[in-house]
Amino acid sequence: MNEKLYDAAEKGKRLLSSGGFDFAEVRLSAGGGTTISLSGENTEAVVSGEAVAGSVRVLKNGSWGFATFNDLSSLERFFRSAVNSASIVIPREKTSIVRAKPFTGRFTTQVQRDFSSVSVDEKFEQLSSYNRILRSSQSIQTTRANYRDSNSLYVYMNSEGSFLEYDRSYCGIALSSVAKKGSVIQPYGESISGYAGYEITEKREALAEKVVKTASDMLDAEPVEGGRYNVILDPKLSGVFIHEAFGHLSEADFVHENPSMRDIMVIGREFGPPELNVIDDGNIESIAGYIPFDDEGIIPSKTYLIKNGTLSGRLHSRETANKMGEETTGNARSMGVMKQPIVRMTNTYIENGQHSRDDIFNALDDGLYAVSFIGGQTNLEMFTFTAAYGYRVKNGKPGKMFRDIILSGNVFTTLKNIAMIGNDCEMFGGLGGCGKGGQGPLPVTLGGPHMLVNDVLVGGGK
Amino acid sequence: MIDRITKAFPAGTKWFDIFHVEGKSTPVKFRNNRLHSLTENENSGTGVRINVNGRTGFSSTNDDTGIERIAGLAASLSPFGDIESFALPSDTRSAFDPYDPAIENFNLQSEIKGCDTAIDELTRRFPGVMVDMGITSSTGSMRLMNSAGVDISYRESYYSASISATLVLPDGTRIETWEGESHTRPVEFSSMISVVADKLEKAMTVCKIESGLYPVILPPSAFGSLLGLVISGFSAVPVWKGISPMAGKQETRVFNEALTIRDNPLIEGSPYSIPFDAEGVNVAEKFLIRKGVVETFIADLKYAERLGIAPTGNASRGYSSLPGPSFTGIEADSGQEHHESMISSVKKGIIAHQFIGLGQSNTITGDFSASMDLAYLVENGKITGRVKDCMISGNIIELLAGEIALSSDRERKGSSVLPWLWIPAVNIVT
Repeated sequence: MNEKLYDAAEKGKRLLSSGGFDFAEVRLSAGGGTTISLSGENTEAVVSGEAVAGSVRVLKNGSWGFATFNDLSSLERFFRSAVNSASIVIPREKTSIVRAKPFTGRFTTQVQRDFSSVSVDEKFEQLSSYNRILRSSQSIQTTRANYRDSNSLYVYMNSEGSFLEYDRSYCGIALSSVAKKGSVIQPYGESISGYAGYEITEKREALAEKVVKTASDMLDAEPVEGGRYNVILDPKLSGVFIHEAFGHLSEADFVHENPSMRDIMVIGREFGPPELNVIDDGNIESIAGYIPFDDEGIIPSKTYLIKNGTLSGRLHSRETANKMGEETTGNARSMGVMKQPIVRMTNTYIENGQHSRDDIFNALDDGLYAVSFIGGQTNLEMFTFTAAYGYRVKNGKPGKMFRDIILSGNVFTTLKNIAMIGNDCEMFGGLGGCGKGGQGPLPVTLGGPHMLVNDVLVGGGK
Repeated sequence: MIDRITKAFPAGTKWFDIFHVEGKSTPVKFRNNRLHSLTENENSGTGVRINVNGRTGFSSTNDDTGIERIAGLAASLSPFGDIESFALPSDTRSAFDPYDPAIENFNLQSEIKGCDTAIDELTRRFPGVMVDMGITSSTGSMRLMNSAGVDISYRESYYSASISATLVLPDGTRIETWEGESHTRPVEFSSMISVVADKLEKAMTVCKIESGLYPVILPPSAFGSLLGLVISGFSAVPVWKGISPMAGKQETRVFNEALTIRDNPLIEGSPYSIPFDAEGVNVAEKFLIRKGVVETFIADLKYAERLGIAPTGNASRGYSSLPGPSFTGIEADSGQEHHESMISSVKKGIIAHQFIGLGQSNTITGDFSASMDLAYLVENGKITGRVKDCMISGNIIELLAGEIALSSDRERKGSSVLPWLWIPAVNIVT
């Protein structure tokens, strides 16, 4: 398949230099992967797949034309189609973009153990061993153990002369157990993935043991009573919080043409305590949100979204950067070459603060410790995210376990209510990812340290 | 195609099926009040499933020249599969194509003009509003071939129009609402615009409420979101795994007798209607819940065999994945009273349109807790403003078992046809 891709790339170079448009780019990919899914005592799926894909995006007269296809031999036809689409209507307001100098380069995921050289037997056996651990408690009703690997060659080229290749290997596992007692059913899962080889999935018995123990323990936990609480977030929840509550707000496509949002998201405006620093950085290799270049051919920056509590930057595509008169940040990403790039996060995290974990617990007389996460969503003013479980904290000591801790709040108020930031930042990725604009799950990493947030609304009955 | 593929199959092959899809679409996107992009998509792909010595393997490609290769790969993966003894259908019938020739009347220029008119209307009424719109017209086909002699296909057409409007008030209050239409042919979408405008208008005033129990009215799309938590338990997969609260409840009254829910693959005009399922099983309407009583679980061939039931024609798949049970169209019976009349009889209650975070928690047993994204306060039968910064929670199975009322009017949203739902007391936390 790679031969077809390189043949198309040669055609692409000629087409991109042919002119007749303001800007154009061609993206091509070819690859394949293996998925293994086990559940309880059964095999759900052992499947392989391969795919080729191509797209052309053309900016002409202030309008984008986009064409996607899987017949790479017909690139010329789709190139013409994208040019035609961009020419059909003269928009009332024209789109323009930041120009960049051409980049060339070839990037390859650094792997210790190439998964394509690992037999399906070995992958199956390893996953089965994790699945046996997931089933190892009598309270477990069912399990799911998923393994996924994919390798693809991705080529990005544009009319500025950029030609970038990325031989990308992505691999990971997702493990979950569902415990049941009477009518109570409690799932719990963990996932780990990244741009890596097979090694990322090896020696994960401890992860499987954590999953089965947590799911079993949660059977005896009660739902938490609804109300307002001071809450300690664990590093994973801190990461979800900053991704949901602020990361999406920092994506400039939400801001750039909305005068009201621009008035709110003013650089230099105070959003949180001076201890708060929030960063998006696509350069951190191997973890899930790593990109050597974005899907507009821009090398990613380390962008401070919040520095010392004040708004310091935001995430841009070429289009939003142009609109706001700011620098590109390399955050235009798409779910595969058949989707248009939109502004997305990469690796987003809260930098370490000054407090130890013990300091933070000692400062909480009465509240909740919320641990791990199931999911989250924001509408850019309000957010909701769900901790997998948690504990009541009295006088700094975690006590009774609770489940179904669903935290909600106003983004701006909650950021200001951050009272203490820990010094134990951890990063998390997984086989899931972030969804936006119909594109997901896009691999991202999120992270942070333990953090105390005051006055958080928690859903639930009285 | 079959000849090329079967050459790659080993001795011991019991059965196989080949699933091929292809399609073309032309999405138009308006972002932030202006035309942003026009797209042409053209894609195809093929999946091969093969059962060798009773075990099933699968592989897929979207490269036409790779079909023999993936057929061999599918066979090589079969030893890892579970034993599956079911037979593939041999009597697949196609009564109709979910295709309307009127899709060919799709006119890009007039659709763009329609979007411009809609955006003009909304920006005139709501200065500062940001409108995104999407119009898509697509056609495609699906072909299924199997070792039992089936070689059958259908054409499909799809049209959708969607609109999302966002207003940010000076204090940072954000109002975002959306509407969508889908059909097998282009349809007039101007009615969406007035619905969006009406929702924005009513959200301009924010009302404060105290925590407590309130009557809640859910419009069809919101009812559908909550109903989704319930009907996911009617899939044979969680039933067989023992994690569905509906397991063992067949022929038992679990819900209020006002509730009748059908899985209907033949909803008129719905682009989600199908003549047969993705494994070639013939489809039919079936009751999931009849007058409050749990009746049918949906299954594909694999889970029908596991549960010891007849396949229900609910297999769904993309070309790159194995089939799995999936609902076709969800239809709820209507009630006695028009939704406007239901609202007018509420003394103090809530109309909940949109949630944040619904389904992002452990909802297996029907528990839910979500932030109110767009909800209105009703006082003495009139909407008095928007309620926000509050959460709604409860157990939807318990709520649907208690007192409820369904409106006499229904709407189709996507693949569902649902009425409005009234519940007398739901917990709200502020």
